[in-house]
Amino acid sequence: MNEQTHLSLHGLAVKKHASPQAVAALLGAEEARVTAHLVDAARRGRCVEAGDNYLLTPAGRMVVEANYSRYFAAARADQGFNAAHARFEIINEELKQLVTDWQTVNVGGSQLANDHGDAAYDEKIVTRLGALHDKAAPLLTAFATLLPRFASYLNKLEAALLQIEDGEPAWLSDVSIDSYHTVWFELHEDLLRVLGRVRTE
Amino acid sequence: MAISLGRYLLALDGSALPSRDLIGGKAWSVARMLSLSLPVPAAVVITTDACRAYLETGSVPTELAAEIDGAIAWLEQATGRQFGGAKPLLVSVRSGAAISMPGMMDTVLNLGINDAAEAALASEADNPTFARDTHRRFLELYASIVLKATLADTTDHDPASIRAEIATQGLAVPTDPRAQLLAAINAVFDSWNSRRARRYRQHHGITDSLGTAVTVQAMVFGNLDARSGTGVLFSRNPLTGELAPYGEYLHRAQGEDVVSGKFTPEPLSALAASAPEVHTQLMLAAATLERENADVQDIEFTVQHGALYLLQTRSAKRAPQAAVRFAVDMVDEGRIDTKTALSRVQAEQIRTLLKPRLADGATDGATVLAHGEPACQGVGSGVVVNDSDSAEQRAAAGVAVVLARATTSPEDVHGMIAASAVITEQGGATSHAAVVSRALGVPCIVGCGAGALTALAGALVTVDANSGHIYAGLLPVVTPDESDDPRLAKLTSWAVAASPIKVVREDDPAAAAAFDLGEVEGGEDPEKLPALLVGKTCVRGGAIESDAGVAAALAAGVAIIIARHPLPVLLAAIHTAAD
Repeated sequence: MNEQTHLSLHGLAVKKHASPQAVAALLGAEEARVTAHLVDAARRGRCVEAGDNYLLTPAGRMVVEANYSRYFAAARADQGFNAAHARFEIINEELKQLVTDWQTVNVGGSQLANDHGDAAYDEKIVTRLGALHDKAAPLLTAFATLLPRFASYLNKLEAALLQIEDGEPAWLSDVSIDSYHTVWFELHEDLLRVLGRVRTE
Repeated sequence: MAISLGRYLLALDGSALPSRDLIGGKAWSVARMLSLSLPVPAAVVITTDACRAYLETGSVPTELAAEIDGAIAWLEQATGRQFGGAKPLLVSVRSGAAISMPGMMDTVLNLGINDAAEAALASEADNPTFARDTHRRFLELYASIVLKATLADTTDHDPASIRAEIATQGLAVPTDPRAQLLAAINAVFDSWNSRRARRYRQHHGITDSLGTAVTVQAMVFGNLDARSGTGVLFSRNPLTGELAPYGEYLHRAQGEDVVSGKFTPEPLSALAASAPEVHTQLMLAAATLERENADVQDIEFTVQHGALYLLQTRSAKRAPQAAVRFAVDMVDEGRIDTKTALSRVQAEQIRTLLKPRLADGATDGATVLAHGEPACQGVGSGVVVNDSDSAEQRAAAGVAVVLARATTSPEDVHGMIAASAVITEQGGATSHAAVVSRALGVPCIVGCGAGALTALAGALVTVDANSGHIYAGLLPVVTPDESDDPRLAKLTSWAVAASPIKVVREDDPAAAAAFDLGEVEGGEDPEKLPALLVGKTCVRGGAIESDAGVAAALAAGVAIIIARHPLPVLLAAIHTAAD
């Protein structure tokens, strides 16, 4: 499998269950090209079409994973990339806590759903997200020096952040849109695959 | 006026309230507590005039440096301690504009500590661990807030290694307390022009020349001796709403210890027993603050050498049940009007109260199959399915399913959407399953233990994500109603009178002729409602009872909404109309 085809299937592995359009958007690649790769891979039994979406078959997953060490060797060997990833993991813990703080509040020792009735509480978390983003941005830039497609994650995170700051709280953790958490999670998944690591929870 | 310490500095003594514009909201609330004769740690404030000068010239005004020395001297005198001295004075530094604003610098605590001060504090408190921890917390906060460094959890690291880690990022924390203070003040002024703060001001039409003040306040310590401690007090119970002070107290501890959960706090009765006069003073302070603010207060306090200090007071966060009780009781007590009461109860809180829950006695004799940590509250039941694709398929066929996974990842989201509850074996409150289920509003229990759920596949279960238990079988569930509870009934009658739109129940005669959004394409999608509601006078079904649905109905001029539960719809309408 050539590098471009592998990349398209890697994109599908990150998205799990997605249209060629969504995979192309994730990779910052041409949609027609991604479609061609997925159609071809479906013919070879590496993925299946379900409605508008594709998903990898068990065989497809194996092929994608078997080729990681070959196509991502440069990133895996790069000290800067690995150092940036180590910092990313620290910020990842902060983000998980931040999203949890956004969704829940501690009331007299009990953890309850945040009803978003306290604007000051929410604003504080949005401020924290802005600060977290400022720390994450240089890391994404570092990833992008080796793998330019990572720049598109930064753009999407920034777009989500601006929506949140303009008073659209859905862009923090909604699962049906490219919310900050959705994009961050895909980015994390992508990174772990590039580096051959396993997610803990 | 507070005591002037020069052109840009005021010492707060409660003698008169300086303007909010000049000293910012946080210092203003300190000054207000002082003017109510409440005990607050000594504080000085660098006014917004200094910030404006800084913004104009790009540097701190020259007079300010000299005035800061005067302010330090004032704080030293007020506390009997010395900044960088043998009995070290530590301070907090916080930003504060007249209007509270996101993007401003977070509070730096314990500023003024260095190796020498750590040693002095260790011998004063006879507690080297506390002094070390204070030093560590300062370095961590200063590094992340003032220097914007990225540090991993520094617990168990010594100051030298934290400094070394900071140095690898080309940054350094000053050891001189005065240099720490000046840099923190600069950082507050700089934060006025942070991207986030600028954007917020632009968005809300707030002038850039308003500027922020800087409050520098003496730290007090709850772990100096046996007559010290720290705690949190709610002027009423924030979980049940009962008219009884509710709080926690930790002897020989700092505020972070209460929050961290590493220590088990005692109820306030412990304070009443060990220091009755402090307890009495605290209860009086809570009553004063609740009366002055006309709302239930959440008060942080510290006792140092037997003296009470109030650190912060704010309107208390509250559980849905307490929100209703506070609102209704405070009207009955003549403290607030019904309009204010209605503004303090969110539609979502009422929806939570009216969610289906296990019937009384439903769990008597029921078998607990597994239990874990509740991540999203609620009750759901169905047949246990182990993978997300079959969860989706079976749900689409009309079967209620409970999705059980070891952990979840993005490939499970479609299964989570379809499930009536989600349960996982691994992961805690911040795991993917927890975050996504809360975003979806699906009842969820996480961390049931490795292997605890695999064997449940195919079984019928009831997931009680309020308690964290998974029961065998389908247990009876009840749906509460507004009319069951006298306070909800009262709130409903006020809401009916205040609502800009008529809301009736499904058994109302008007329901027969209503336009049913549940019967039309897109009726479940709030974004499609504006188009669907054109020209309609009476509407039911679909997304009409959601906040967005109610807003769309108001905008479209709908006259009547038919609702299963009128109160949340009425509140959503009242709040939308008030915005």
